[in-house]
Order: sequence, then C-alpha cells, then structure tokens
Amino acid sequence: MPDDNETLLDVRDLKTHFFTDEGVVKAVDGVNLSLKRGQTLCVVGESGCGKSVTARSILRIVPAPGRIVSGEISFRQRHGDRIDLARMNPRGRDIRNIRGREISMIFQEPMSSLSPVHTIGSQIMEAILLHLPVSKAEARKRAVSLLDLVAIPRASEQLDAYSFELSGGMRQRAMIAIALACEPQLLIADEPTTALDVTTQANILDLIRELQEDSGMSVLFITHDLGVVAEIADEVVVMYLGRDVESGDVDTIFHNPKHPYTRALLQSIPRYDSRAGERLYSLKGTVPHPFYRPAGCPFHPRCDDFIAGQCNANDPQRYNFSAGHSVRCLLYVADDDRSLRDLPT
Amino acid sequence: MFRRTVGFVKAVNDVSFSIRLGETLSLVGESGCGKTTTGRCIARVYNPSSGSIHYQADEGESVDLAQLDSRELRPYRRQIRMIFQDPFSSLNPRLPILQIVGESLKANRIARGSELEDRVAALLKRVGLRHEYIRRYPHAFSGGERQRIGIARALALNPKLIVADEAVSALDVSVQAQILNLMQDLQEEFNLTYLFIAHDLSVVEHISHRVAVMYVGKIVELASTDALFRSPLHPYTEALLSAVPKPDPRLRNSGVRIRLEGEVADPSNPPSGCYFHPRCPYAQDRCRHEEPAARQIRHDHWVACHFAEELELRGFEAIGSTPDVRQARARAQPSRKVPKT
Repeated sequence: MPDDNETLLDVRDLKTHFFTDEGVVKAVDGVNLSLKRGQTLCVVGESGCGKSVTARSILRIVPAPGRIVSGEISFRQRHGDRIDLARMNPRGRDIRNIRGREISMIFQEPMSSLSPVHTIGSQIMEAILLHLPVSKAEARKRAVSLLDLVAIPRASEQLDAYSFELSGGMRQRAMIAIALACEPQLLIADEPTTALDVTTQANILDLIRELQEDSGMSVLFITHDLGVVAEIADEVVVMYLGRDVESGDVDTIFHNPKHPYTRALLQSIPRYDSRAGERLYSLKGTVPHPFYRPAGCPFHPRCDDFIAGQCNANDPQRYNFSAGHSVRCLLYVADDDRSLRDLPT
Repeated sequence: MFRRTVGFVKAVNDVSFSIRLGETLSLVGESGCGKTTTGRCIARVYNPSSGSIHYQADEGESVDLAQLDSRELRPYRRQIRMIFQDPFSSLNPRLPILQIVGESLKANRIARGSELEDRVAALLKRVGLRHEYIRRYPHAFSGGERQRIGIARALALNPKLIVADEAVSALDVSVQAQILNLMQDLQEEFNLTYLFIAHDLSVVEHISHRVAVMYVGKIVELASTDALFRSPLHPYTEALLSAVPKPDPRLRNSGVRIRLEGEVADPSNPPSGCYFHPRCPYAQDRCRHEEPAARQIRHDHWVACHFAEELELRGFEAIGSTPDVRQARARAQPSRKVPKT
C-alpha cells in the first residue's frame, strides 16, 4: 500500500470477472490506477473496455454474477487509515459507511438513477440522515443549500419537485447534489454528461470543476469523449479490454502518446481544421467479443504496428516510460534487456 | 405540429431550407429543437400541418411531397430513405439480415429468391460486411456492424436522398470514424444527398457542406460549413460553438466560453419576439417584441437575428492539432470535390 498522504485511491492489479453460464467474462483484467487528493483522473476507452466495471468495483456494487477475483483497492479514509476496499464484504456495514459518505457516484442517465416516486429533497435528505447525526429540519436546510450550491434556481421550491419535473441538466445537478450531500472525499462520475446537450455538458463540467476547487475532493471521471478528457483531466488512464494500456498526465497522453491504441483514438476524432471530404483515420475491426479474447496483447488484431510472433504470443507488461507515464506495449519492451524501441512513424 | 390533448406543440415552425443535389446538409441544435421532426417530415413519416416539401424528381419536374397521399408517395419513398440513431432498436430482432435488408426489394418486386440473396450479399459487401452474415440475426452484430446493416437497408433501392438521424451518435469514436468514412465513400459512389441530423458539432463540421442551426423549431442560421464555424452570425451559434470541448488540454483555458443561462424554451409556450432572447447575452428591447425574419446577409449565409450585422461573434478558433493528428491526416486520402451548386 502507498504510505504517502497525498494518494487517496490506489488500485493495483484489479481483476473483476463475470461468471456467466456461457463462460467467464474478464471485464476487468488487471487495472492499475492511482488518484491524488484534489485531482481529476479520467478513465477513457470504448464501450466494453471495463471502465464502468472498474468504477463499480471500487464502490463494491458490481452486479452478480460479477465479482472481484484479485487485486487491491487501497483507499485512505478521512481519519487517515488506509483500507482495502477489495477485501470488504460488499453487503457489510463498513462499505455502507463509505458509500455516499466518503465515496459518491453519479451516473450517466439521471432519469433512471433518480427515484420517480420520491421528491428531489427527500432523496438528498436520505443521504444526509443516513450518514450524519442531524435532525430532519437541519437535513432539509442542508438540502436547500446543496441545491443552491449546484445552481438549481429557486432551491427551496425545487426541493419538493419530482425528477420528471426537471430537465436533463437540472436532473444531473440534482444527482450531483445527492452525491455531495456528505462532502465525500472521492466523487466517481460515470459518463455524467454523455446524455446531455453540448451546452448543458459545458455547464455541468464547469460545475464539477468549481465544486472540486472549493471542496478539494478528488474526481474519478469515466468517459469515452476525449474532448471532455482534455477539458477536465489531470491524469488519464486509457483502457482496452479490461486493461490499462497507457496512463499518464493529460498533456503526455494528448501530446506524447505511446500506445498505438491511444494514438488511434486521438486520430479518429473529427477535428476542426479538417477539409470537407477528408477521410478520418479509423481503427480497423471492432472490439472483440468478450469470450474470444485474443492471445498475447489483446489489441494486436487491430494494431497497425503489430509484430508477428511477438504481439500475438506475449502478454505485454506495464512499462514505465517516465515517472507517471506507463505503457503496456511490446514495441517498447522488445528484448530481454528492456531496450526501448520507439513506434515506427 | 401534433395534436395533443393539452394544446399544440409547434415542434417545427416555419422552417425553410433547400438541399442541393449531392451535398450534405446538417441540421444541428439541442435536444427538442425539432431537427428530428424536420427530417421525419421530409421522409413523410410525419405529416406536416402546413407548408410544402419540393422534391426534384428524376424527370426534372418538381413535386410537393407534402401534398401527396400514401399511394402517390410510393415512388418517392424509394428515393428518400432513413438511417436511424439507435442501431439496437431500429433493426427487427426477429428477422435475419436477408429479410431486413431485402424487404424493400421484395416489396417493390425488384428481386426475389436467389437474385434477392445476391443483391443483399452485394449490398452487405458494399458496406463492409461479409456476405456469409446474410442469415444471421441482429443480435449477432456489434453496434457499428448494425449501423452498417441500417445503411445497407437504406441503400437497397438506390435512393437519391438519405435522411441520417443521429446516425453516428451512439457509436464509439473509432467506429464512428469508420461509419463516417463509409457514408462519404457511398456519397461519392452513388451521388447521394444527405440530410444529416446531429448534435455533435465536430462530426457535423467534418461531414457537411452546409449547416443549418435550429432553435425551438426554427432555423436561426444557415450557411456553408466554413462560414458558419469561422464567422457565425447568430448568438446561439456562437454559444454552441464555444461549448464544444476542444480535444487538446493545452487549449483548456484559451477560448471564451459563453454560458447559456436558463433552459431551452418550451415549444408549446414559446417566448415573445425572438425565441432566443431570454438566453441571449446580446438581447435588446427589440428582441423581446419583434420576431426576426431570416435574411440573407452574406452570399449564401442566412440568419434570423435583428443585430446580425452589428454583432462581432467569435467562431470556432482554429485548433492547433497535435503532430500525431497531422501525420494521420497526411496519410488520409485526398479530399474530394465539393458538389456543384
């Protein structure tokens, strides 16, 4: 376990597998990530790469038949003790004291993650009353100030509104208010702006950033949108088929990416200065079916820089390119002496 | 406009535009602005309450699709096809690909039996799928492959105009790039005209020749892609452009973001005057009372704003792309001609 006080969350070699009737799906198969206090870590990747399951593993809300097989999720609690969330009983009292109190989560679909039969206010107050020793009246007052904080207009009236009475952006703000009710140390945001319009998305991202500046909480942000990553991330983890294929600070990932997959993702974004009719760079093939995981490097069938006999046979290990920048790719660890080879350009 | 018990929702109100042969016209705007309704009216999925839809038929005469009844529409339904957003719900899970793609060929008595199979196989091949897949059902395909099936279905009758309603919105960025490239290739090969409905402005910028921006059922600005992104004339367009996240962390604090206050106006109870005035940072008294008409201000650049000449609005700043992207671009194929207008 890391012993410095700055690292809030440290995930080591996490494996979460789903034991279905048809076979084992290795949704998360060796993920490492580390999040410092007050920072924003973005997890990016295509659908099916295991980014949501990683987030759910941290909160121990992986749905059956999934379960954490191995790995360590070290979390530094408010009073300074480190605990391993991966070893906790997912139904136990300890993890319930952490959910909503120390770690909160907001989801992609604010309509389906809010209760349609409870008012916004009662859902915020539930979180407060569960974790803090306050009276109902105090909880209500706190709920109003939370709605104010997330810039919902006429907060005291909206407290008695139901989720269907709010617009998409307002619902996501209400979700954030619930998540922030007990001033968590870590906010996990799973694609919180994907379902929103671009103007609303910009407002929600600004809001998360402002709240983070004020409270000093850390944010684990899951998204597939590299534009959003560029806007808010301090650190980035790129995932492919349940692995962290590259991680580093945001500037390194965008301006000095090393893994062919990271490069391909960056190249396939349509950019402003492209000319009409120009073709986009596109990755060949699609993400393989979870039951048919390729041997060796899972990315090799789609990789332009594939080395026959290497990439389809050997499993690439994490290689530290520089401090804080690690890559899993055999192009960089071709020989036993770990000599560095750069990508052919 | 649709009949509701509570009143009328003017989902699309007084919209006029034209699409030129062989071009891609995009409709953009926030959810609820009426872009889908407009597309569906053109494909006559919905019946417009008033107005006309002139369509240039093969023989050169122009027909008003809005006036035709369902029997008269049949020949035009072959020529105007749709591609839908959600590749999971737009394919019947109980039909094999042969039937999904071949249904319109069969219904129009163009092909049957082994000829039908050959034609469907050729269509699948054209959109980049293997012809052996012909007897499989939709569940066996990934999102990107399903969208290819949707495109093959739209292509089956050699259409002229394709209404693509958020055709790439549900796809991952790498798959999205494949589908966008495929759509551009098909446009060149078959001289297709696209009405491309989308909310992702970087995709729109990439694929369109011209762009129309909609707000609460009206088109507020219509211009060539370049003009609209570089020098927008409507404050709403400016705000939309400024909200797009730029895929480069070094530009994080470079641009000025215009925060739009409030919500999109309710189309059943729109504001007076210019619909955008309650959120517009430049609104003046005149905007509250007088509805702006669409005017052509520059060549081929239409805008509905009283102060379009006076405002100095910011476009999408030229984004310095990363070296890797420049390399990729150098590898990309040469650009194609913009269709004659």
